[in-house]
Amino acid sequence: MTAVAPIQDDLFTADVIADPYAYYGRLREQDPVHWNEKYDLWVVTRYDDLVWLTRHHELFSSAVFKNDPRPAYPAIDESDLGLYEYVKNYQGDQFIQHDRPEHLEMRRVMHGYFTPKSMEAWRPFVQAAVKELLDAAEEKGSMDVMRDLATPLPVLVIAEMMGVPREDRPYIRQLAEKLLYIGRGEYDRMKPLTEGMRGMIEYVSPLVDRRIVDPGDDFISVLARGEKQGVFTRHEVLVNPSLLLLAGHETTINLLCNGTLSFIRHPDQWALLKQDPAGAAKRATEECLRYDSPVVSIQRIASQDVELRDKVLRKGDRLRWFISSANRDPEAFANPTTFDITRHPNPHVAFGSGTHHCLGATLARVEGQEVFKALAERFPSLQVEADGLDYQPSITFRSLKSLPITWH
Amino acid sequence: MARKLRVWVDQQACVGNAMCEAIAPKVFRLNDNRQSEVVDPAADSEEKILEAAENCPVSAIFVEDAETGEQLFP
Repeated sequence: MTAVAPIQDDLFTADVIADPYAYYGRLREQDPVHWNEKYDLWVVTRYDDLVWLTRHHELFSSAVFKNDPRPAYPAIDESDLGLYEYVKNYQGDQFIQHDRPEHLEMRRVMHGYFTPKSMEAWRPFVQAAVKELLDAAEEKGSMDVMRDLATPLPVLVIAEMMGVPREDRPYIRQLAEKLLYIGRGEYDRMKPLTEGMRGMIEYVSPLVDRRIVDPGDDFISVLARGEKQGVFTRHEVLVNPSLLLLAGHETTINLLCNGTLSFIRHPDQWALLKQDPAGAAKRATEECLRYDSPVVSIQRIASQDVELRDKVLRKGDRLRWFISSANRDPEAFANPTTFDITRHPNPHVAFGSGTHHCLGATLARVEGQEVFKALAERFPSLQVEADGLDYQPSITFRSLKSLPITWH
Repeated sequence: MARKLRVWVDQQACVGNAMCEAIAPKVFRLNDNRQSEVVDPAADSEEKILEAAENCPVSAIFVEDAETGEQLFP
C-alpha cells in the first residue's frame, strides 16, 4: 500500500472550483480514467484520451438528456423534479444533444452560417461593439470586465444575428442570465433556468412565425429553413436560439474574463501583446483558450461497452472529459503551466474536436482577438481591484463571478 | 474537361469535424486518426470541393489549380 491520500470525489468543493488544475491534474497523473463514486461518473483527464473520445462519436452519445435516466447532479430541490423534466425535454431537442445521422442533418442546416469566412464578416461589427463598451468604461475610469465588457459583447453579437431589435437587448440579456443556471450547482437552480427557457420560447415564437413566411439572412431564418426542409420540428427550432445565446455567451464571457486575468497575472506576456497588439492577438487568443479554458468539461453517455486504458466503461455509463486538464497535459504541451502567448503550434481542445467541434469557434476567436487587441491598444496596465476572485460553482464552465479592474 | 486540382488537408489543423466528408465523400475520407485525407481530388466537381473547403471549421483544406498552381482556396 502506498501512502497516497485517496481522491475525494466531490467536484463542487470550494477548492476544486477555485483551482480545477490542481485537482484534475492529480487525476491525470494518478488515475486518468477515474470512476467518480459520488456522481456515478467517469472522469477522463488526459489529452490523448479526450481527442480519441471526441473523434469516436459512435461510441459516446451526445443525447445525454434523452439517454441518462439518473437524477440531476448536484441534487436539486425535490419539489423541482417536474421542472427538471421540462429542462430535459428542452435541452434534449437542441441540435448538440443528438447523434448521427440526425446531428449531421441538423448541423448542416446551421453550419454554413458559422464558417470561418462568414464569421470574418462579423469582425467590423465586433470591433465597433468593443469600442463602444470600452469608451463607456474609459469614461468611468474602472470596469467590471464581466459586467461591462464580457457579458454585453456576445449578447450584442447574438442579438444582431437573431435579428433582435435594439430595445429588446436588455430583455435578452436577462434571459441569458437565467439560462446560465444550466451549468451550475445551486440546489434551487431549476426555477430561474426554466423561466429563462420559457421566456426564450415565448420571445422567439413570433420571430420564427415571421421568418417562415418572410426569410432574411439572420439565424432565425436559417432555423426556419431547417423546419421547411423537414429537418427540425417547431420545438427544435424554438430551443436552438437558446443554445446559440447560451453557448455563444457563457463560453465567450469566460474567454474574455479568464484571458484578461491571465494577462494581468503575467505582465511579461501583457508587455509582449502591447508591442504588437494586431500581430500578436491571434496566437494570444489561442493561448488564453488553452491556459484557462472557458469550458471545463463536457458530458457523454457510453453507447456500448468501451475499453479505455485499464478500465471498462459500460453501455449507459456517464462520463465527462476535462478540457481544462487536457489542455495542461505535459504529454501534449511543453511547459503546460506557462502562459506563453507566442506558443505555436497550439493544438488545444478548448473547442472540443470531432463531429461536435464547437460551431461558434470562429466567432469566439474573433471576439477574443478584438477584445485583447483593443485592451492592449488602449490601456497601459491593468490591475485587479478586489481582494479575492470567486468562480461560479460549475464543473462545465470556468466562470468568474466578477472581475473588477482599473488601469493607469 | 474540368481542370485538375491539387487538394490537401493540413493534418496539424484538422479536428476531424468531418463536414468535408459529408459534403464530398468521394474526395475526403477520415483516416485511422479520424482526420480527413484526400483520397481522390478528381472524384467530385470543383464546386463541391470548394464547398467542402469553405465549410471546414478550422480552414484546414487547401485547393490549387494543379497545372498553374493558382490558389483557389482559401
